[in-house]
Amino acid sequence: MAVMRLGYAHVRVTDLAEAKDHYANTMGLYETLSEGNKVYYKAWDEWDHHSVVLEEGGVGLVKYGWKVQYSSDIDEIEKKAQTFGVTVERMSKGENPEIGDGIRFTTPSDHVFEIYHEATLIGTEVGTHNPDAFPRHLVGVGVPALDHSLITAEDPGMMDRFLSDVFGFYATERVQTSLDDDADIIATWMTNSIQIHQLAVLAGPQGKLHHFAFRLADWTEVGRAADLFSMDDVPIDIGPTRHGITRGQTVYFFDPSGNRNEVFSGGYLAYPDRPMHVWTPDALGKGVFYHARELNDAFTSVLT
Amino acid sequence: MPTVTIHPTGEVIYLEPGETVLSGLYKAGFAYTVGCRRGGCAICKVDCRSGQFRYDHPVADTVLTEDEHLDGTCLTCRAVPDTDITIELRGENVRLVNTFLHMINDKARQRAEANAAARLMAGTTPKEQ
Ligand code: FES
Repeated sequence: MAVMRLGYAHVRVTDLAEAKDHYANTMGLYETLSEGNKVYYKAWDEWDHHSVVLEEGGVGLVKYGWKVQYSSDIDEIEKKAQTFGVTVERMSKGENPEIGDGIRFTTPSDHVFEIYHEATLIGTEVGTHNPDAFPRHLVGVGVPALDHSLITAEDPGMMDRFLSDVFGFYATERVQTSLDDDADIIATWMTNSIQIHQLAVLAGPQGKLHHFAFRLADWTEVGRAADLFSMDDVPIDIGPTRHGITRGQTVYFFDPSGNRNEVFSGGYLAYPDRPMHVWTPDALGKGVFYHARELNDAFTSVLT
Repeated sequence: MPTVTIHPTGEVIYLEPGETVLSGLYKAGFAYTVGCRRGGCAICKVDCRSGQFRYDHPVADTVLTEDEHLDGTCLTCRAVPDTDITIELRGENVRLVNTFLHMINDKARQRAEANAAARLMAGTTPKEQ
């Protein structure tokens, strides 16, 4: 395993004060650093210095950080990315606070990825010595961790190949134009672990963010999150509902700048030898919103 | 207080001071396609045919281009009218989804109009009162 997980999502926000209120008080993230126009957060069950970075000025994605297991993985990914035809630059320790040396490149989908191995260890909020099940004084939804993200790209098939070749990811589910071998990929859900997806790519404009998601334990927590969103006047996009694709339980909502967030729970365990689920466009409504079984146009066109 | 007229149906909606166009439409019982309701996704744009408005938040360059700041494009979820405005939706119509809200909004508008007429008769402007 080279890439272990989506380490951080770095997004732009139009108003830092409002964004801080959302991510700290509604989502329950812990602020670990505030520096200039940026604020860094971690969730309670994460141990590295940060998983969410907010930067004032605009909206949408700045970049993702991907944490690898061994420092040698960085060189390997660099070689594979170059072989794929991507220009890779070196990134040095401290370019991102509390993050070590690594590489940076722009993917064929025009998203910026950073690959790193070292991050300052803060530790989870319950510690490692006889830890309790959760921190007693969680704020708001109290999300335990960043989970995955969905981006758009003009050629999701190319991103599927890129993530396979460079990251060693495999697809757990795909939406294809048909069931034929030469069908085009409309969307792909990719991982390299038993996590059902770490990054999904949907056909759409280059370089855009559809959402980034936080993990929750079960339906009850997803329902409670939706309740809190109403209390805090957070615009809910969809849910609570289930996805046909991944089987996850979900609420989609927007941060105060209009970046889409998700809380996600459930889904099944992924394995590389598990037969991939394939969806066709006629079943896409059910695939995305299992209960309503109808796709709304805003779900695929509302992006930041 | 400003009103929003929807072209071409001619519906007139009364806004509270400082209220955004989108919030005014909602509070008058209307709906149309929106996304984030937070100025980030650009889907709520309509065309402003007359009147003045400003934005209650900084709007990202990726959401509104320089041209769109000048050509009457109105990001309804962040636009607060300074004067009465007339808007035209892009490719769709507003849907009345709550008739009770619509009734209440209409009464508020009639009251505001009656007050304005009374002030005119008395020869005063709101500022002089
Ligand atoms: S609804 Fe997203 S910008 Fe207005």
